[in-house]
Amino acid sequence: MELSDSVVDYLRQVAGLPDLSGTRYELEREIGRGGLGVVYAARDQQLNRRVALKVFDFPMPQEAQLIAQLEHPAIVPIYEAGTLPDGRSFYAMKLVRGTRLDHYLARSPYLAERLRVIGRVAEAIAFAHARGVIHRDLKPQNVMVGEFGEVYVMDWGVDAVAGTPAFRAPESKLDRRSDIYALGILLRFVLPKPQPAALRAIALKAMMPDAGKRYQTVNEFLADIERFQEGLAVEAWTEPLWHRMRRFGSRNGVLLWLFGAYATVKFLLFFLRHL
Amino acid sequence: MDTDTGIGGKTGQFPSTDLSLLAATHDEFPNQALERIVALYWKPVYRFIRVKFRKSNEDAKDLTQGFFSTALERDFFQKFVSSRAPFRTYLRMAVVRFAANHRAAEMRQKRGGDVEFEPLQEELFAAHSAEDVFEREWRRQLFSLALDDLRAHCRAGGKDLQLRIFEEYDLDRSKHSSYAELAAGLGITEVSVTNHLAWARRMLRALVTDRLREVTSNDGELRHEVRRLWS
Repeated sequence: MELSDSVVDYLRQVAGLPDLSGTRYELEREIGRGGLGVVYAARDQQLNRRVALKVFDFPMPQEAQLIAQLEHPAIVPIYEAGTLPDGRSFYAMKLVRGTRLDHYLARSPYLAERLRVIGRVAEAIAFAHARGVIHRDLKPQNVMVGEFGEVYVMDWGVDAVAGTPAFRAPESKLDRRSDIYALGILLRFVLPKPQPAALRAIALKAMMPDAGKRYQTVNEFLADIERFQEGLAVEAWTEPLWHRMRRFGSRNGVLLWLFGAYATVKFLLFFLRHL
Repeated sequence: MDTDTGIGGKTGQFPSTDLSLLAATHDEFPNQALERIVALYWKPVYRFIRVKFRKSNEDAKDLTQGFFSTALERDFFQKFVSSRAPFRTYLRMAVVRFAANHRAAEMRQKRGGDVEFEPLQEELFAAHSAEDVFEREWRRQLFSLALDDLRAHCRAGGKDLQLRIFEEYDLDRSKHSSYAELAAGLGITEVSVTNHLAWARRMLRALVTDRLREVTSNDGELRHEVRRLWS
């Protein structure tokens, strides 16, 4: 007898689920799909806490080892890695409660908040680069903003991950500058309309097709954003004179006010003296 | 009603083929490799032709048989380049080209006369595109072959109890037996039922992957197909 569609679908469902028999975990539900595996919410019965389980279709211990080396507030900590009874490899990590960056932006946060998130992401990437790890697949779907404003960079890449086309740098051999390219796209993605010219220029510099013309380190990228936040000229943009004067005015408002007051008083005194 | 053929059905009267085997050792085992491809793809191609080109059962069978015969004669499978597209897509596109050429040849024979396609009587297909039908049939065939492998594996390894639990709980969905009912009926504990069921599902998954490995050309394509199947 031929298998019916409903039986095939049922078999795909039950045989596709990870086999957690004999482990400390109890499966709850699927919560996402990453580059190489599926992420489930599960309960750690020994410690009575919820965790996220990333289960790989193929043996992939390298990713867990990679992330386990990265102890950083914006990188999700790994609790355990191993092999399930069905032969698939997995790792258990902190279950992040929060919102994906693309959904978070729908709440229309202020520019300062958007830049704070980008700053946290860039710091995590800079930290990873310092340890020889590159992300390879940075995009809004891989950034979570927690319920208390904490920011997490998820789904750290492995060699097999080619990246998401819209966020992937054009070069065939990915390196740190490829993450900087993705940071540029991420920055442009989070900016509200109309985009401030200086920030748009920072994003465009990070996204230069020629990797040699981008920021060469994440810290350079971060420094330019900080310059913008402090009202200084950014390296990525040669600003016109009127813009420089306006920026000078907004940065030195008190000084200009005092100078104006001083000039007015001097003028009045001069005027009164010659009456 | 013009019902579907029983060829290439439940138990794969066509033996299995291995594309990776084909690539690596096709001089040595060409027939084994090609037979496995035919085992998995004969029925999906047949149903695809029925829906896409609105062919009768007999015409679709002839066309399917013609496609595979021509493909084997002209070393079509050996010409597959894995970097361009998954094998499944490559094969489906080839079927479209083959059927189009066949139709053109028919038209020439009839000297431009009207070609009437027989009306498709199966309403089942009306709601789905030919590509969907191909995909569904491919999945069905894949699971059918893997279930055959599972049955053979269980019988050879003395796992009749595991197979019986799996067939009653997962395959016979009309009964809706609970773990407790199954345990009581078989005189074992509920935990044993769940353990045996988990074992059978695990085996099925592994056997499905084995079948996929046989018809994919490299690890990348295999991963792609595995993810596509279980997602």
